[in-house]
Amino acid sequence: MGCAEQESGNGTTDGKKEQMDSGSAAGDAVLACVRCSKLARLQCPKCLELKLPRANGAFCSQDCFKAAWGSHKVVHAESKRAVIRADNPQDQIAEALSRGWLYCLQKGQHRSGRAPNFDWTGDLRPYPISARRFVPENIPRPEWASNGNASAEQYSELQNSVEIKTPEQIQRMREVCKIARDVLDAAARAVKPGVTTDELDEIVHEATIAAGAYPSPLNYHFFPKSCCTSVNEVICHGIPDARRLEDGDIVNVDVTVYYKGYHGDLNETYFVGKVDEASQLLVQNTYECLEKAIAIVKPGVRYREVGEVISRHASLAGLSVVRSYSGHGIGELFHCAPNIPHYSRNKAVGVMKAGQTFTIEPMINAGVWRDRMWPDGWTSVTADGKRTAQFEHTLLVTETGCEVLTARIPTSPPVFPWLS
Amino acid sequence: MMDEAPSAVPLSFSSPSSPEIPALVPVALPDELEFPEDKFDGEEDSAKAGPNAPSTDKSITLLDNEEQEAVGITMITGYLGSGKTTLVNYILKEQHGRRIAVILNEFGEELGIERAMINEGAQGSLVEEWVDLPNGCVCCSVKHSFVQAIEQLMERRERFDYILLETTGLANPGPVASILWVDDQLEASVRLDSIVTVVDAGNFLRQLHEPREAGSVTEAYLQIAYADVVILNKTDLVKDESGHSTLEKIEREIKSINGMVKIVHSERCRVDLDDVLDCKAYGIKHSVDLEALLSKPVDDNVHDSAVKTISFKLDGPVDLEKVNEWLGNLLWEPSDKMEIYRMKGVLDIHGSGEMHMLQAVRDLYEIVPTRKWREGDKRINHVVLIGKNLNKDTIIEMFNHCLVSKVLSFDP
Repeated sequence: MGCAEQESGNGTTDGKKEQMDSGSAAGDAVLACVRCSKLARLQCPKCLELKLPRANGAFCSQDCFKAAWGSHKVVHAESKRAVIRADNPQDQIAEALSRGWLYCLQKGQHRSGRAPNFDWTGDLRPYPISARRFVPENIPRPEWASNGNASAEQYSELQNSVEIKTPEQIQRMREVCKIARDVLDAAARAVKPGVTTDELDEIVHEATIAAGAYPSPLNYHFFPKSCCTSVNEVICHGIPDARRLEDGDIVNVDVTVYYKGYHGDLNETYFVGKVDEASQLLVQNTYECLEKAIAIVKPGVRYREVGEVISRHASLAGLSVVRSYSGHGIGELFHCAPNIPHYSRNKAVGVMKAGQTFTIEPMINAGVWRDRMWPDGWTSVTADGKRTAQFEHTLLVTETGCEVLTARIPTSPPVFPWLS
Repeated sequence: MMDEAPSAVPLSFSSPSSPEIPALVPVALPDELEFPEDKFDGEEDSAKAGPNAPSTDKSITLLDNEEQEAVGITMITGYLGSGKTTLVNYILKEQHGRRIAVILNEFGEELGIERAMINEGAQGSLVEEWVDLPNGCVCCSVKHSFVQAIEQLMERRERFDYILLETTGLANPGPVASILWVDDQLEASVRLDSIVTVVDAGNFLRQLHEPREAGSVTEAYLQIAYADVVILNKTDLVKDESGHSTLEKIEREIKSINGMVKIVHSERCRVDLDDVLDCKAYGIKHSVDLEALLSKPVDDNVHDSAVKTISFKLDGPVDLEKVNEWLGNLLWEPSDKMEIYRMKGVLDIHGSGEMHMLQAVRDLYEIVPTRKWREGDKRINHVVLIGKNLNKDTIIEMFNHCLVSKVLSFDP
């Protein structure tokens, strides 16, 4: 993964310490000791036996291994997950529960062995989720990694005014967004009927930490997983679980990674096997909505215009725009000013300026725009249970227009027919 | 693959401990399972709720229903001792046939935990309850958690007809007002109706002019500036002496700060409820004061206080894009310490047969077509601004650039 692209290397001062970054992501030749971050030469035998990712079980010495055993062995319990292969939903759920997977409740703060009640809006149901994935100790983490609390972000001055980033900050943004792109592409390659969204999460998680980055969603306000996987009627913030993707599903994978103090955020909606025509049109229209919105981004444009463009394109196709979630500023904070609604006639504040970075991430529905929240406190679904799609990029306003920091790269898998 | 050779060492080393591993795993699993078992209450709630299911049922009905009109919120501000609580109690006790919820915002701008009192209808008792604000994740959610909390409160009970939001004495109403001024598109179940400021006639002038650090003004100024209605309370206490002239002086002072405000005199906050509830001061859909604005001359104050009202009228159609630019400059990139709190206006937009209305609260604004210009209407641009350090000449000069008439005259 990520072995190919290194275009943006011009003009930066750093890069001394990072020579091995792309290398470590690609051929896992160099691993750091989980405990002390020194070069690792040994690995945990149990991890080997369970075929667990080596990054989580690498140690420099027996001493470090012994010392870390208490916290390390959790990884093995987690790994009881392996892959869920039962054929029908009942067996799948039973199998997941038997492995200790549980249903997520209360915004991720509680788990339960019993499925919650809800007047589900469509056919989709929550499945049990696996245990929390492990992030090696040497990877720098955002404030919420340990306790779910993002109060520094919440009360930051950057919630009120939009930052103009310095060339150094912009370089960091490019770097982190490139990692995020590679990570998402890794997930995209794995999408096919029979794969569980938990497996997609595992791929995202492993690819992220292999690049030395932290998966931003993990424990953000107690979100339990390393990415969001939103299937069919799920608008956004779907939690990766034991459900296997079915032929004809659409699934959005939303990835954010945190690297050297900056976040990069993007998502795409994929087809699982053969998808009906209405869903294809929905996904393509959503892709175009984002494209058209990006096309207007340049200094001097009011943020409120973004919603006008998206709303126009969606309604031309008889589709509706989700109003409860918006694009957001991004950088050292995961979410900050500006707030960029995707619907028309919004009162968004401010004018775009060169050096600002933010996301645009339209969510477009086949039916009504209204959303409902599942009992897990995260999963947002369409009120009428019809399908919904989303695409997202992290953007940088430049002097003349904009740079799509999370743009597709030549190695990105060719999964969208309209691009070929 | 090559790396795996040395790893054989730890393999043999830790295999004695690996029998321990299977032992540990089952411990961890039931452990994890037990937690949620305890927590079943919370989850059972929703299960039990099945039959009576208040919240879920509600949301279903809210979904498919004929558009229910949003419930109005009147925000009540005023200094400690001005009579805010008296006003709230008076409204609650008065026979008005409305079910009113009172929300106490005791933490001012920090929208923390709120206390809510609910009046159970006409002769109903007062019930008090705490509203737990969904703390935190603003995670790209458009509606502020405060609005969501009020909406939840609305769902929990059967419907209310009206909400009073009582703020702390020293609160600047601006931030809360802009949070509550939700985009129409979000179809919130509540809407900001108006801001009512209660003023203690006996203390107002002193409170207004309390010394402040240079460049800032007292909350009394802000509370007047944002008000749609000022209740001039305790008038009985100033009448005796030179009472009449004192009241006149106060009124002049208030009008100079806020030229659009409606002033109501009262003793012990006995006011006509029509003056306080359902004023529809925000949003175009509801706005009733458009015509009034057109007809009423708004007098600019003569003396130059830090916070004041200015207004201007200008003939000729204006270019919408340029008006947007003008507002962007004024509200988002203000010069000379200028701060705009509130704006209202009527615009004659070039190329449109409809009268447009402009509203602004702090950095939020909207321009919306309202109705067709009628025969006999005087097509005009009329804008009123309330703010600090307003430079009228600059503002008008900037607005002049929005006129399209000159461009038109070049057209053959």
